[in-house]
Amino acid sequence: MTQLALIIDLNVCVGCSACVTSCKEWNTSGSAGPMSDFNMYDQDPTGTFFNRVQTYEVGEYPNTETVHFPKSCLHCEEPPCVPVCPTGASYKRKQDGIVLVDYDKCIGCKYCSWACPYGAREIDEEQKVMKKCTLCVDRIYDMDLPEERRQPACVLACPTTARLFGDVHDPDSEVSIAIREQGGYQLQPEWGTNPANHYLPRRKVKSSVSKEDLTRVDNPLKDEHFNKPSDSDVTLEDSSWI
Amino acid sequence: MNTKIVFQEVKSNGVGYWGLLGFLGLFILAGAIAFFTAEHSGHYITGMNNQIVWGLPHVFAIGLVVAASGALNIGSMGTVFGKHIYQPLGRLSGLLAMALLMGGLIVLVLDLGRADRLIVAMTSYNFKSIFAWNIILYNGFMLLVGLYIWTMIDPKMKFLYKIAGSAAFIWRLLLTLGTGSIFGFIVARQFYDAAIMAPLFIVLSFAVGLAMFNLVLMAAYTGTKRPIGDVLINKLRYLLAVFIGGVFLLELARHLTNLYATEHHGIEAFILMGDNIYSTLFWWVQIGVGTVLPLFLIFCSRLKNNRKAFVAASVFVIVGAFAQLYVILIGGQAYPLVLFPNAEVSSSFFDGMVNSYQPSMLELALGLGGMALSLAIVTVAVKVLRFLPVSLADKVVDPHHCKS
Repeated sequence: MTQLALIIDLNVCVGCSACVTSCKEWNTSGSAGPMSDFNMYDQDPTGTFFNRVQTYEVGEYPNTETVHFPKSCLHCEEPPCVPVCPTGASYKRKQDGIVLVDYDKCIGCKYCSWACPYGAREIDEEQKVMKKCTLCVDRIYDMDLPEERRQPACVLACPTTARLFGDVHDPDSEVSIAIREQGGYQLQPEWGTNPANHYLPRRKVKSSVSKEDLTRVDNPLKDEHFNKPSDSDVTLEDSSWI
Repeated sequence: MNTKIVFQEVKSNGVGYWGLLGFLGLFILAGAIAFFTAEHSGHYITGMNNQIVWGLPHVFAIGLVVAASGALNIGSMGTVFGKHIYQPLGRLSGLLAMALLMGGLIVLVLDLGRADRLIVAMTSYNFKSIFAWNIILYNGFMLLVGLYIWTMIDPKMKFLYKIAGSAAFIWRLLLTLGTGSIFGFIVARQFYDAAIMAPLFIVLSFAVGLAMFNLVLMAAYTGTKRPIGDVLINKLRYLLAVFIGGVFLLELARHLTNLYATEHHGIEAFILMGDNIYSTLFWWVQIGVGTVLPLFLIFCSRLKNNRKAFVAASVFVIVGAFAQLYVILIGGQAYPLVLFPNAEVSSSFFDGMVNSYQPSMLELALGLGGMALSLAIVTVAVKVLRFLPVSLADKVVDPHHCKS
């Protein structure tokens, strides 16, 4: 069975929130929207997001580091939000493992929010139904888009390629290889929810760099004895006809 | 001599009766306005947010639902356990149970995001969901208690009296079991996920249901100037003490078992020793006002046969029960989800920080509206049907006791 998921590389995520804004942009105007906001520029702003980047300070000063931690629905293989839903509005698709909410069946009881150990569910305070990441189900199967664009909006927007998307059940997929070779892990596996989304850990790179290493061996300025212009030379800026 | 219990409608047409209905009507109106305001503007105008998803209305709703099943106990003790002294109170017990459930469900439904989709909730069931089972349990309770009242009022239905009473009793246990299980099955949150939640809610229902019943009984008999004797009141008084003790025992066991597991130390410290409203409510209101004070009022020898003390004890039990529900519901949600065990976390999106909740007037109005609706149903029903015995004097309810 296919299980689509996101793999998020915490080593290269810079916390720019491009994934947050592109997610909001795509989904608020798509079939999963709207994602309502209130008091946006006021005190106590509130709004619906499918994806949020959380930034943590890890360690004790001075040995601290900053970790940017993007979090959205993890599309668990055993999602605790699905059995608790009284009307069956929360469901997991058999064909690709995406966990979705049927907005027309959701009564807004918010019990799924209680059940999700990851705090990934949010109520849209205007539409008053539960909303969450859909893995951009309305674009990953959109045949009108070029194949390379059939990916979640957050994946396409990430400038550091910190987000990968694919089938974690396919051992040869890019995401499975990344999990296998780079120590991908699930968030809180002890719950037994078996989240499909994985995180690639922070990886410390220790290397010593000398001054010589920073000198370019094939520096063209050095090789060609290029003369820097002197103050007396006429430059473009000095041309009065410009 | 065989004393016959005579039931009669409340005849009063005075200012007191209509004034009471009008007073309750104001709260119902305020509740309706609160609902339509939140419905029109969206949930963001309430105190609830994406961290505290169930707020004050759910405290009222669950409190009333729990009290509903507890209110039926008086009837059950007469019917199922053959305690004759409680049998004259069976009709009122059933009526109050239905009315409280109605009030609780109204609040619950109107606090849903999509109250307009009630029909979806009633027709589309996910049988793995304890919430869906609760919908069935609520409906079944209404039907069974309705039947139970019918068997008490209509002599032709008397042959079903024992069966209906027993079925309603078993159903009420299941109903509170289901309500408690809503929290017992929540594995994601530190304060829940414990099987003890189900029996705790059952015993809590005994206490708060009886306290509500006591208040309605006293108000009805004082208001209509019908006699009510000390024998019955003292039975109810000491029964209330037993239930208060039961709630305290299970609450103690819950916290002690939580304290035994290191992973729960954080939430227990937050609830029991935190510098927050939840610790204040727990110690001062739930334990102080809701447990110690009523027990004092019940057992203080100087207050024996003192009806004001009896009424005050019942009021304090209700206040304590609602504080307990507030601590369980809101306190448990306020404590942050543990995403990174053994790590101290803080972020700009509420992780690692205590979630804040400030109940709005709208939520309070909705909750009080539901409670007022329950009382209004009782007020109207006792006027149109024969729910109240003409007398509950000692010689009527317990002739054997009086003879001796």
